[in-house]
Amino acid sequence: MNVRLLFTLLIICISLTGCSDEITLENAATPLAHGIDLDEHNKFRFYNTVPLFSKTTKKKSQENSGTAYSLRQSKAQQDAFSPGSIQGRNYQVLLIGKRLLQYEDWFPMLDVLFRDARNTVMDRVIAVDSPLSDVFDLNSKDQPMLPILLRGMVETKSKISETYSTTTQELHRQFHEKGITPYIAEVEIVEKKIKLKGSALLNERGKYEVSFGAQETVMLNILQKKAKPGLSLSYRIPDKPNKGPFATDMLSFSAEKIKTKVITSFQNGRFQFDFHIKMTIGLSEHLFPYDVARDAKKLEKQAAALMQAQIENVIKKLQKHQIDPIGLGLYARAFHYKEYKKVKDHWGKAVADATFHVKVDLTIGAMGPVK
Amino acid sequence: MTSNTGKSITSMQYIFIISGIQVSVSILSLPRDLADAAGTDGWIAIPIGYILSVAAGFIIVKVMQNAPEDTIFDLLSRLMGAWAGKCFALLLGVYFLSFMYDSLNRAILITKDWLLPNTQPYLLMILLLVPTYIVAKHGPQILGRYSEFVFFLSIWIPFIYLFTLENAHGLHLLPLFKEGVLPVLSAVPAMLYPSLGMVTTFILYPHLKNKEKAPINLLISNSLTMLIYLYITIICFVYFSPDEITLYNEPIVSILKSIEFRFIERIEVPFIAFYLFIFSLAWIPSAYIAAFCISWISGKKDVALPLQIFCIVITVSSFFFLPTFNQNDRLGLWIGWLGISIEYVFPLCLLVYIILNKHFQQRTAL
Repeated sequence: MNVRLLFTLLIICISLTGCSDEITLENAATPLAHGIDLDEHNKFRFYNTVPLFSKTTKKKSQENSGTAYSLRQSKAQQDAFSPGSIQGRNYQVLLIGKRLLQYEDWFPMLDVLFRDARNTVMDRVIAVDSPLSDVFDLNSKDQPMLPILLRGMVETKSKISETYSTTTQELHRQFHEKGITPYIAEVEIVEKKIKLKGSALLNERGKYEVSFGAQETVMLNILQKKAKPGLSLSYRIPDKPNKGPFATDMLSFSAEKIKTKVITSFQNGRFQFDFHIKMTIGLSEHLFPYDVARDAKKLEKQAAALMQAQIENVIKKLQKHQIDPIGLGLYARAFHYKEYKKVKDHWGKAVADATFHVKVDLTIGAMGPVK
Repeated sequence: MTSNTGKSITSMQYIFIISGIQVSVSILSLPRDLADAAGTDGWIAIPIGYILSVAAGFIIVKVMQNAPEDTIFDLLSRLMGAWAGKCFALLLGVYFLSFMYDSLNRAILITKDWLLPNTQPYLLMILLLVPTYIVAKHGPQILGRYSEFVFFLSIWIPFIYLFTLENAHGLHLLPLFKEGVLPVLSAVPAMLYPSLGMVTTFILYPHLKNKEKAPINLLISNSLTMLIYLYITIICFVYFSPDEITLYNEPIVSILKSIEFRFIERIEVPFIAFYLFIFSLAWIPSAYIAAFCISWISGKKDVALPLQIFCIVITVSSFFFLPTFNQNDRLGLWIGWLGISIEYVFPLCLLVYIILNKHFQQRTAL
């Protein structure tokens, strides 16, 4: 009797709990991309794009935007355009307009993503170097849906180190960790198409500082020890002749093995970081005739010098903007904790003061099937 | 009251009951609590807490070896009179009842936060208490089997956490003892609440199959608990930056959100649902022990009646009031101090008393 009563109760309860928290697919609108920016009056503006599952609509997605104070506060406005209720459970990308990035301390605007446990935190964060309204209203005929296009773009290119696939969760870490400054992917609109630009580097409070192109981003990835085999680099070898309109001094290679060693020291009141990069490369093209089998050493040295110069240039840019996307603060904290503690609240300045030494060693591992 | 023959617990079950009570809910906030006290050095406090709890465990077993067939209450009654046994039974009953309530409360808060924000807490309470009653009323042997079952059911969980290592930063852990030894020592109290539970030995000891193996079993279960804590804490520390980990309430759940599989999104949802099994390892044994304490005071053998009363009172009260996260934290702190006095201080005093008592008895005999 007792057990039976309990079981009836149990079954009733189970069905009841299911009822109060359910949402049917018809009543849900799941935006796959959302964006935040400021308008021309510096008012906070949100954007989102919701895929439509309807036979009668001509377009496959619905774009909404509006002015609001914050993301969650804008929910009513977002809902107002849609037959369903907006659910932040499946964001693929988060777009951030350049106008917003001109200001510091915007990160708390994303609080709802972390505080509402049902929101995803694995959406890729991308800076947009064009007005966000243009991106959301683009609906390019020869590019896939915006969220899918962008997600694929950063996913594949970050695998070959040409951009960053920074998730919201990772951005949270980069903002709160004092020894690193945030870095995200950057796109722009070129001829009514979305194009990947490379990466955008922000300062410790989130203000946009500088953009890096594909190859500079690769360099940064190498310094961060994030670069994986498969990345590709091209350099023009200085002592080779150009023939006609063709850049016949071009050398391209891909990395087969990358090893970055960072040595941290503290001397005369400033930090010193020594990078030693060892790479085994496979040649993918050289437009000038060269006997790699006999004279590999010379080419290795030439390419290494070019790469070293480019890395030094990248570091100079970082120092000029007082930013540290490499995360050198982590090394400083791990190995020189006392000195780091003194400067951790203005780590960017400490990086600008620091001395850097870079050494690149290349070894040609393969020259390809032709001589 | 002598032990119930036929209702005995194997060594393995005993290990899992103790580890289950220890790990269960307290693992959720442990990494954050340790980081609060000592930053990324917090994990060093885990082995220190481990040594303390192993020592306390040995003392508890040593006390019980003086009365291998009785519970602690019979022993106390014999030593100091019936009132001492009853007082301690009441104290232990209240302790385990609050332990049970605290873990149930925490589990419901977590479920509400992550899974069912719009569901009424009393419904969850009823749903959780029904299996609690069914398992707990059958006594120690079924408790042991349940703990064993849940343990083997969840053995795959640690492997999932390996997926987070692709974003790990080992540099977070360095340098060791960055602020010296003091912060590490100040993190040890944060380890004590998650180590509570060994005192169940007081009640379970008469039911053990291999009593001579009890100390080694306690050592194994404490080591198992320590390994789990160490593993989870270090994973959280290398994943989250030392500057941000204190911002998460349940870092061990938040970290799951970063795992991506092609076939499932929001992997933390099935995890929380599954974790309820592990959480239940805290409140089901403590429900039984609290009920046992109450029934011992009234001189009856049956635990079903007190259990029914517990379940009904808790359910009805949750209809009107359920502690919030902050209140639950304070309750946990309070239980922590009560637990320290019952599990660490009291057994030591009792052991000293027993030894002195024997000593004096021998002298008077001479």
